Amino acid sequence: MKRCRLFLIAMLAVSGVATAVDRDTAQLEFTQAVTAVQTAERDDAARYAPADLDEAHAMLDSAQTAVDGRNWTDVAIYAERAKVTGDLASSRSRQHRAEAATAEIERTVDSLRHQLGGGTP
Amino acid sequence: MKTNNRNWILACAIATLVAACATVPPGPPPDVVRLQNDLDRLHTDPRIANNAGPELANADAAVDVLARNSRSLDARSYQQGVYIADKLVGIAEATALARYAEQRGTQLGVERDQLLAQERVETRTTTVVTDAPPARIITEAPPRIAVRTDSGELVPRARAELMAMQDQMPGVESRLDARGLVIRLGDFMFEPGRAELTPTAEQSLDTVARVLRSDNDAGIAIEAYGQDGLALRRANAVRDYLDARGVEPGRVSARTVSYSTRGIAENDRRVDIVIRSDLR
Repeated sequence: MKRCRLFLIAMLAVSGVATAVDRDTAQLEFTQAVTAVQTAERDDAARYAPADLDEAHAMLDSAQTAVDGRNWTDVAIYAERAKVTGDLASSRSRQHRAEAATAEIERTVDSLRHQLGGGTP
Repeated sequence: MKTNNRNWILACAIATLVAACATVPPGPPPDVVRLQNDLDRLHTDPRIANNAGPELANADAAVDVLARNSRSLDARSYQQGVYIADKLVGIAEATALARYAEQRGTQLGVERDQLLAQERVETRTTTVVTDAPPARIITEAPPRIAVRTDSGELVPRARAELMAMQDQMPGVESRLDARGLVIRLGDFMFEPGRAELTPTAEQSLDTVARVLRSDNDAGIAIEAYGQDGLALRRANAVRDYLDARGVEPGRVSARTVSYSTRGIAENDRRVDIVIRSDLR
């Protein structure tokens, strides 16, 4: 499902999103963008992927400004950017957390190997 | 005369054609080339190619669509396409590397369990055959103010006990400082933004609990860094886990430590378990 959604984003982008965006479509994009950024925050992206999260927030701010100005095309463009950047922040956060946990286990294993006579099994 | 005119027209036509060809740059735009190169790099990295999943297929599709349509798009749509495809490539890379790290962590976890089992067997065997004291030799020497370790170092008895305890926790991140034996649970030992322990943290705490059960004199202080409710919930989660593993709750205190204390960085969300033989 996520695959379809992301691919749709790309298709929308390259098929000329600037041509015509109605209010409902733009608001749906905006809602999805807010959800993606909130998910990134819950994934601790502020700690593990701060640059990506900042960029997602900036795009969301631009989308909000466009909402205030009722410029639905701009809303859709910036919301799409915020959404995909929020997804990237989540992915990078997951990557860094997984790598940190693995490094911790690796230290444990190295210590045990050393204690049990050294060398890899 | 007619022949001259025809040659002249033909020459002009050829020149126009050559000029037209020269103004159309060959191949896709530089942004698309960069994205294609990034994708090639991902496909040739075995850590990513072997853990690719749908994210890499998404990125492939996005860059492919962009490459095929780049010449016909208006500037704004093209820029949007480049932006989104760029992020999809990043998502593909990060997700695959996360999967790779998770798989490697699982494999290492199995190896750690095997090594821990081997370590327990070796310790037991050594004790039975040689009737020797535990691996860390601490000379019993009254008066019990200071003792000599197996390395010949003369240390206060309380500290020597903590050193012996530390030796029984291989692989657990710990150190001795002025507070006592400090076991550190980094932020990544908890689920992001929550107080739930990760499997890695639980395995470390299992080891800590085993050692603490064998030494009923040692007092335990759990110090969680941060000033919000999360820090206290994490401290309580660690205390409850130790309680569930047989560590008497009366020995354990839990508290939060503000960032202004000891110059702690404001994003440091760790939890320290401090063990001191004179804490009780």
